[in-house]
Amino acid sequence: MIDSPVLRTATRFAVPITVVISALIFWQGHNFPGGGFIAGVMAASAGAMYLLAFGLAGAARVQWWRISVLGLLISVSTGTAPFLRGYTFMDHGILDFHLPLLGHQHVPTATFFDLGVYMIVLGTLMTIFVELGLEER
Amino acid sequence: MTGSAQLPAIVALPFVAAVIALAFGRVVGRRIGVVMPLAAGSCFVLALRLLGAPDGAPAVFHYDWMPALQVGFTLRADGFGSFFALLVSGIGTLVGIYALAYLDDLGGSRLGRFYGALTAFMGAMLGVALADDLIVLFVFWELTSLTSFVLIGFWYEDERARQGAVTALLVTALGGLAMVAGFVIVGQVTGTTSISALATDAHAQRILLRSPLAVPALLLVLLGAFTKSAQVPFHFWLPGAMVAPTPVSTYLHAATMVKAGVFLLGRMLPVFGALWIWGPLVTVVGLATFWLGNYRAFREDDLKGLLAFTTVATLGAATMLYGLGAAELDALQLLSHATYKGALFLVVGIVEHAAHSRDLRVIGGLRTRLPITCAIAVLAGLSMAGIPPLGGFLAKEGAYAALLASPAFGDALGLRVACIAVVVLSNAFLFAATCKLVLGAFFGPHRTAADAHHASHGETPGLWVPPAVLALGALALGLGAIGSATEHLAGMFSSAPGAHPHVALVPTHAGPLLLSLVTIALGAALYAGRARVARLQEAASVWPEAQRIWDGVIAATTAVATRFSERWQNGSLHWYFTAILVFTTGLVFFALEWGGLSLQDATVDLGNLTWYGLALAGLLLATTYAVVRATTRLAAAIGLTAVGFMVALVFVVYRSPDIVLTQILIETVSTIFVLLVLYFMPTFRERRPSVGERTWKAGVSIAVGLSMFVLVVLATGPKFREPKNLGLEYLARSLADAGGSNAVNVIIVDFRAMDTQGEITVLVVVGLCVYGLLRARRRASE
Repeated sequence: MIDSPVLRTATRFAVPITVVISALIFWQGHNFPGGGFIAGVMAASAGAMYLLAFGLAGAARVQWWRISVLGLLISVSTGTAPFLRGYTFMDHGILDFHLPLLGHQHVPTATFFDLGVYMIVLGTLMTIFVELGLEER
Repeated sequence: MTGSAQLPAIVALPFVAAVIALAFGRVVGRRIGVVMPLAAGSCFVLALRLLGAPDGAPAVFHYDWMPALQVGFTLRADGFGSFFALLVSGIGTLVGIYALAYLDDLGGSRLGRFYGALTAFMGAMLGVALADDLIVLFVFWELTSLTSFVLIGFWYEDERARQGAVTALLVTALGGLAMVAGFVIVGQVTGTTSISALATDAHAQRILLRSPLAVPALLLVLLGAFTKSAQVPFHFWLPGAMVAPTPVSTYLHAATMVKAGVFLLGRMLPVFGALWIWGPLVTVVGLATFWLGNYRAFREDDLKGLLAFTTVATLGAATMLYGLGAAELDALQLLSHATYKGALFLVVGIVEHAAHSRDLRVIGGLRTRLPITCAIAVLAGLSMAGIPPLGGFLAKEGAYAALLASPAFGDALGLRVACIAVVVLSNAFLFAATCKLVLGAFFGPHRTAADAHHASHGETPGLWVPPAVLALGALALGLGAIGSATEHLAGMFSSAPGAHPHVALVPTHAGPLLLSLVTIALGAALYAGRARVARLQEAASVWPEAQRIWDGVIAATTAVATRFSERWQNGSLHWYFTAILVFTTGLVFFALEWGGLSLQDATVDLGNLTWYGLALAGLLLATTYAVVRATTRLAAAIGLTAVGFMVALVFVVYRSPDIVLTQILIETVSTIFVLLVLYFMPTFRERRPSVGERTWKAGVSIAVGLSMFVLVVLATGPKFREPKNLGLEYLARSLADAGGSNAVNVIIVDFRAMDTQGEITVLVVVGLCVYGLLRARRRASE
C-alpha cells in the first residue's frame, strides 16, 4: 500500500471508469476491438490500482479464486450445452431476441464463453495479486 | 437405443448402490453393508429372468455410443455371458452377507467407501460379462482394475497392503492398455468391434486372419488376459493382493475378477483360435502356470497364500484348455472352481478371526472349536482335491478327457504324454496342498495364536452360511451329474456355440479315471512325505522370484525417472527458459531445413521505410540495451515495460487495435507483478558470469533473435498471401458463421474455442496453485 492522498483520490475516479470501460470492451468484443481476455486484464488492473491505493484488506475480502472457477464452469457449460442438444462440443450459435426498452438483441452464444474467459482472467490475476501481497515482508 | 432395458439395469444397479454406500456410509454405520447383498441379489434375479427368454435368442441392448467410430454400447446376454453375470452376482450376494458379519464397524465413512468400491466393482464385472463390444468391454475391464486397487489397499495403513495394491494395479492396468491396443487393431482390420459379429462373421474372421497384424493383435489381447488372470510370468501380483480383507480376496481373487482373463480367452477363442500361434502359446503359458501354481501352493504355510497359488494354478488349467481348443467344459470348470475356492477363502476368514492367525505353523486342530467350519472345509476340500462325487472331480475328469482326446497334438504322441504327465503331477501337488490345508488347520492337536483366547468371533450364521451354500453348490454340481442336470447346465453356459459336452459322474471312459487314480495316489504320497518334499523344494528353488524381478524393473524405472527429473526439472527458471528457447529455435530451423519453408521467395523491400519506423526501431534498441545493462532488478523491470510499450507502438503502426490494447494492459499488469515479487527475489547478478557462460548465452540470444527475424520475414512473405490461406478464410467466415466482425475475438471464442478452453483451464489451475501453495506456506509458518 502506498500511503498517498493524491493516489487515493485519483483511484476513486479511475477505478469506476476502468471497470465501466472494461465492461464496454467486453461487450463490444465480438464486433470491435476488445473481448473477454483484454477486458478481464483491464478489470484486474483496476483491482491492482485499488489494492495499491487502499491496501489489501478490502481486496482480500473477495474469494477471487471462486470467480475464476465459476468462470471455468460457465465456459465449459456453454461448450456442453450444444453438445447435450445433439450438436458438436463448443458449437456456438446466435441468439436473436427482443427485450423491452433495449430493443432487438443480437447475442452470439460465444459471448457467454467470453464471459467465462473474462471471469477467469480477472479471478486468477486478482488471486495472484492478493496472495503475493499477503506474503510477509 | 434398442433392446431389453433389463440388461443396462443389471449393469447400472450396482453403481447406484455404490453411490448410496458412498453417500450414506457415514450416517448408517456398518449396516450400510446391506447394499451389497441387496444389489447383488437383485442383479442375480434380473440375470436369471433374462435366461427365460421364450425364443431362446439372447437378449440384446444397443445404444449408439460413438457412431463415427462404429462403437456401440452393446450388451448381450448369451449363454457364457449370462453364466458369468450369474456367477458374479450370485457369489456377490453370498460375499455381501459374509462381509456384513465379518467387518467390524470401522467408524466414519470407511465402510461406506469399502462397500462403494465393492458394489462398483461388481457393476464393472457385470459390464465385462455382458459387454458385446470390445471397447465397452475394455472400459469395464479397466474399471475392475481401478476398483480392485481400492479394495486391495483397504488396510492402507499397512505398507504391504499399499504395495500389493500398487503392484496389482500396475500389472493389470498395463495388460489392459496392451489389450485395448489389440482391440483397436482388430477394429481397424475388420471394421467392427462387436464381439458377437467377430465370433460369427466368417468374412470378418477371414480378413483378420489374413492380416499381418493378426499376430500382434492377438499378442496384445493375450497380454491383457494373462495379466488379469495371473498367468506366468505375471502370476506374482495375485498372492501379493492377498493382503485385502478376506471377503475381497474371495470375491475378486477367487471367484470373479481373476476369471475375467479366462473369460476373455473364451470370448477370443472363436475370433483368434484358428491363428497358428494361439494353440502353442496359450497352452504352454497355461500349462506353466498350472504347474507353478500348484508346486508353489504346496510350499505355502499361509492359508491365503496357499489358496492364492492354487487359484493361479486353476486359472492356468482353464487357459491351457482354451489353448487346446477345448472350450466345451469351460463353464463347468469355472463354476466348480468358484464354488469350492470361494467356500475355502471364506473358511480361512473364519479361521483367522477365531485363531488370530492363518499360518499353518501356528494354528491347527480347530475342528473342536469350529465344527461347522470344519465340515464346510472338508466338503470344499474334497471338491478341490477332485474326489467324487463333487464338482471338482467332474472338472478334473473333463480336463483329462480333453487332454486325451484333443486333436491339437496331432501325431505328436510324446508331446501329449509329456503334457499329461505334467498335469497329473501338478494335480497331485494340488491334492497334497488340499490335504495340508484341511488336515493341517482342522485336525491334529489344538493350536492357536497366543492372543486368541479372548477372540470375540465364533461361528455366527452370517459367517458360515455363505461358505456352506458354496460348498453345497460344489456337492450339487457333482450329484447333478448322476442325472443330466449338470450336463445341461455345462452345455447351456459354455462359450463354445452349440456345445454338447459329456458330463457324467459314473465314468464312461477308462482313461480319465485311471489318471485320476494315479493323481490321488501320487498326491497322498506327496502329503505323506511332505517334510522330505519341502526340503527338496527348498533345495530346488534356484530361480529368482518373479516378484523380485518385477520389483527390480519398477525400481530401475523409478531411478531413471528420478534422474531425468532432477536433470531437467532442477527448479532453475533460468534453465527452463533456456531450454524452451533453444527448443523453439531448433524447431524453426528444423522447419526451414526440412519443413518445406523457404526464405527464397521472401523479399525485404527497403523502399517502404518510413521515418517513424526507423525511429521506433531505434527506441526499441535503446530500451533493450537499457534492460541488458541494468544493475538493479527494478531498473530491468521498468526497462522491460518500456520495451513492451514500444512494441505496442509498432502495433499501432500496423493498425491492430486488439493487440495494442492487449500489449499495453499486459505490460502494465506484469509490471505490477514484478514489483510485488521483487522483494522475494535473490540478489541480482551477484557475480560476473564466466566467459563460457557468456558465450553460450550470447549464442542462444543470437539464435533466438535470428529465428524470430526469419519468422517475421516469412510471415510477411508471399507464401502467406496466397488466395487459399487460413487467415483469409477466418476473415471471410467471421461475420457470416459466427456473427461477429472482430475476427480476432471470433477466432478466440468460437473458431478455436477448444484451444481457448484449454488455456483458460491452465490459467485457473495456476491461480489455484498459487493460492494453495502460498496459503499452505503461510499456515505452516504460523
